[in-house]
Amino acid sequence: MTLADFIREEIGLTGTKLGCEHGVCGACTVLVDGEAVRSCLMFGVQAEGTDVMTVEGLAPDGNLHSIQSAFWEAHALQCGFCTPGFLISTFAFLRDQPNATEEEMRIGLSGNICRCTGYQGLIDAVKSLSAKGSNG
Amino acid sequence: MEGVEPKRGKFIGQRVKRVEDPRFLTGEARYIADLPIAHCLSVAFLRSPHGHAEIRSIDTSRAAAMPGVVRILTASDLESLPPLEDKVALAELKKTPQLVIAKGRVRFVGEIVAAVLAHNRYVAEDAADRIDVEYDPLPAVTTVEQALDGKSPLLHDPLGDNIVYQKKFSHGDVAKAFAAADHVFKATYRHNRFMAASMETRGYMAHYERASGRLTAWGSTQAPHMERLLLSSYLGIPEHKIHYIVPEVGGGFGLKFPVYPEEIITAVLSRMVGQPVRWIEDRREHLTSSTHAKEQIIDLEVAVKSDGALLGMKARCIGDAGAYSFNSTSALIEPMVAGTMMPGIYKLDNYDYEVMAVVTNKTPVGPYRGIGWTAGNSAREMLFDEIARALHIDRADFRRQNMIEPDDFPYTTCTGSHYDQGSYQESLNLALKEIGYADFLSRQAELRGQGRYLGIGFCAWVEQSAWGTDAAAQSGLPAPSHDNVSVRIDPSGKVVVSAGISSHGQGLETTLAQLAAEVLGVKLEDVRIVHGDTDSVPFGMGTYASRSAVIGGGALQKAATQVREKLLKVAGQLLEADPQDLVLEGGRVSVAGVPAKTLSMADIAGAAYFLPSVRTEGSEWLAATCFYDPKATYSNGCCAVIAEVDVETGVVKLQPIVTVEDCGTMLNPMIVEGQTHGAIAQAIGAALLEDLHYDETGQLTTTTYMDYLLPTTTEVPNMRVLHLETPSPWTVMGIKGMGEGGLIGAPAAVINAVVDALAPFGVEARELPLSPDRIFRLLRDAQSRPAAPA
Repeated sequence: MTLADFIREEIGLTGTKLGCEHGVCGACTVLVDGEAVRSCLMFGVQAEGTDVMTVEGLAPDGNLHSIQSAFWEAHALQCGFCTPGFLISTFAFLRDQPNATEEEMRIGLSGNICRCTGYQGLIDAVKSLSAKGSNG
Repeated sequence: MEGVEPKRGKFIGQRVKRVEDPRFLTGEARYIADLPIAHCLSVAFLRSPHGHAEIRSIDTSRAAAMPGVVRILTASDLESLPPLEDKVALAELKKTPQLVIAKGRVRFVGEIVAAVLAHNRYVAEDAADRIDVEYDPLPAVTTVEQALDGKSPLLHDPLGDNIVYQKKFSHGDVAKAFAAADHVFKATYRHNRFMAASMETRGYMAHYERASGRLTAWGSTQAPHMERLLLSSYLGIPEHKIHYIVPEVGGGFGLKFPVYPEEIITAVLSRMVGQPVRWIEDRREHLTSSTHAKEQIIDLEVAVKSDGALLGMKARCIGDAGAYSFNSTSALIEPMVAGTMMPGIYKLDNYDYEVMAVVTNKTPVGPYRGIGWTAGNSAREMLFDEIARALHIDRADFRRQNMIEPDDFPYTTCTGSHYDQGSYQESLNLALKEIGYADFLSRQAELRGQGRYLGIGFCAWVEQSAWGTDAAAQSGLPAPSHDNVSVRIDPSGKVVVSAGISSHGQGLETTLAQLAAEVLGVKLEDVRIVHGDTDSVPFGMGTYASRSAVIGGGALQKAATQVREKLLKVAGQLLEADPQDLVLEGGRVSVAGVPAKTLSMADIAGAAYFLPSVRTEGSEWLAATCFYDPKATYSNGCCAVIAEVDVETGVVKLQPIVTVEDCGTMLNPMIVEGQTHGAIAQAIGAALLEDLHYDETGQLTTTTYMDYLLPTTTEVPNMRVLHLETPSPWTVMGIKGMGEGGLIGAPAAVINAVVDALAPFGVEARELPLSPDRIFRLLRDAQSRPAAPA
């Protein structure tokens, strides 16, 4: 069983989405020991003993994380299906490169596909966070 | 015609953040694969690996013996099920009945050969692999040319050939126009086959309860009542016993409008076993079996004077429909619309065109954002650039000279499109000014001297919206269409809107709430929008063809206005005042000039429901349902693009894009911009990357996202959207639909920017997309090569 299926079906956290199941679209991105990985390309058993964070972990107490708020403000989502993967990728990206240039942002997020927004709102959202230099 | 002023209000026209977003941001939103249904079985399909073959035998015994397999279906189990067939009522259009499971012959890679029902998807897919099928492969028809050659095999023997539609149309005096021409320009364009490729694939679920004979069906679809209607007709279950639910939908773009075989089979299986059944498409299935789009061959001939005056045009639009004239909107969805809408924003009186649709051994073609328009517009605009260059006329001037002018509205094209009002010239001028057209042209030669090949492209477009009965007829695909919306104030004074349209990313829960809050003077958070549930909302035709804001919004505005009148009548009785003297705002009704005489919505609603002196018999208090079927209305806009081509690799880099969008009265500019951004990104894919490619045996070679390339953050540049607002004189509040324009106009802008960049090489672009490999070949074969920079 893939890690994605394990998270969705065994744990019941369905925020993580499956867009291609062959590791290209990025919708299933989760953090495994802090590393952004595609959960469709990993078996559940490989995550044994690791710390896994999904989109549900961004706002455990119900208050939106600053990345989620920035996405909301910048109209960074439409159908919402790619959103969990983008949120997790953005989380890891900003943690690693809090002062990135726009080009670095675009390269950093090029592993996630969105079919609705043309990425404009997404890039605007990440820029707004990067300018603040904050990730939390 | 006099213009009307765009409507503005406390909510209308404001950049309101989307009310639906928190559930998407937190992962709480439930799409069809996320719905928790106990004891739900899974379906997997065995699909044809051949483009064209006879099925010699099917042996399901090994699969049936696997633990966890519940049921296996082949065509012989579904003899009583009627085939899928389009409902387009045109006498010349031949039908190609499609059995939901192929019988005897398979006609495209991905066609269903068997269905397996099992306890989970893992078992179902493994079992499907163990079904043994023997095929006798047949030669495949994979191009329009083969479909027409009279020698290739027939896909549907009863048709007698591979042509499902062929008809000529004539407007004005084309022979005379061509006789008077100084020049005639001709070209044949091969428009690429690509697809919506929504992030969420298709998915369906069904639960048939045998005792009550009721079916609950869920689908990642765009039109719940139409799904119910069609399921009813295919399954023989009366409509009132079907409850159709659309959960969150992860993008549709037209692809999720039709009914597909998988949906019928899922429901049939549930009826057979009396248990819930679900099917979730995987991405490979999506690429092979969800509808493809846009493939056409378009021949154009244009007659002009030397001064650039457009005299006449001839077109032949041939749609490659794939293996079946698909059940939703038929094989005509592309070529008929391309042919009918070819005049676009230009004054064209003399126009002959022929529309053809052929069947080939490829995936059926269905609706996708900008049906027909995308291909027709790209072909015409590519040729217009060539004409302007050949005549040594500025490309923008050539358009301006032949474009519909402000005084011409309302303007009826020779093919019968009735344009209400627009800003065609203004949008072109604004887009070119903002991108720095003149400045760019002055620098272009210098850049070429430095070995940098940059080009500029632009396209002003008109976009049909408000797909009601009138718009459908104007497109050449006649079908009645309309919508209903209900507005109800509950006893605590909050507002519930039930809409037949359904949202799959468009933000309708926000825009409709803005409208309701505006009319009823309440806060945004006091409005809830219910959609996507046939048991809860009045009949509607669904969300597609840029119709929801105009038709759904218009129906809502009418219903909310009636409710407002009812509300004021009750308040008048309670406050002992004439309703005309009442002010409704901030969730309160007050007597004008007497602020102390005031009641909250809750006071009024409570009284309307429970106070006998206020209640009356008859129609429901504080509720109304309105029907709306407006005339077609046309949005417009213009997209301008600067592209740089690396002539060594063929890779295109786009500079920031400028787009002008005019959709009349805007409900929410932020959402209008988002729709524009998204459509332009799809246009970039269409123009530069996306190509569903078949080999000569009918094998689709692009079945993963490593082969079928979608634009990412590194291919899509920044985009700036500027607004003009020319309200429609014909719709409620002057609203025009929008959302498709980016994929109608921007492909031509991108293509023409690339072609302009390559102009020094004398390349002739006739095939799309302009992918790096195609650009590389064009350059290799180019007639001329400029001297290397010093």
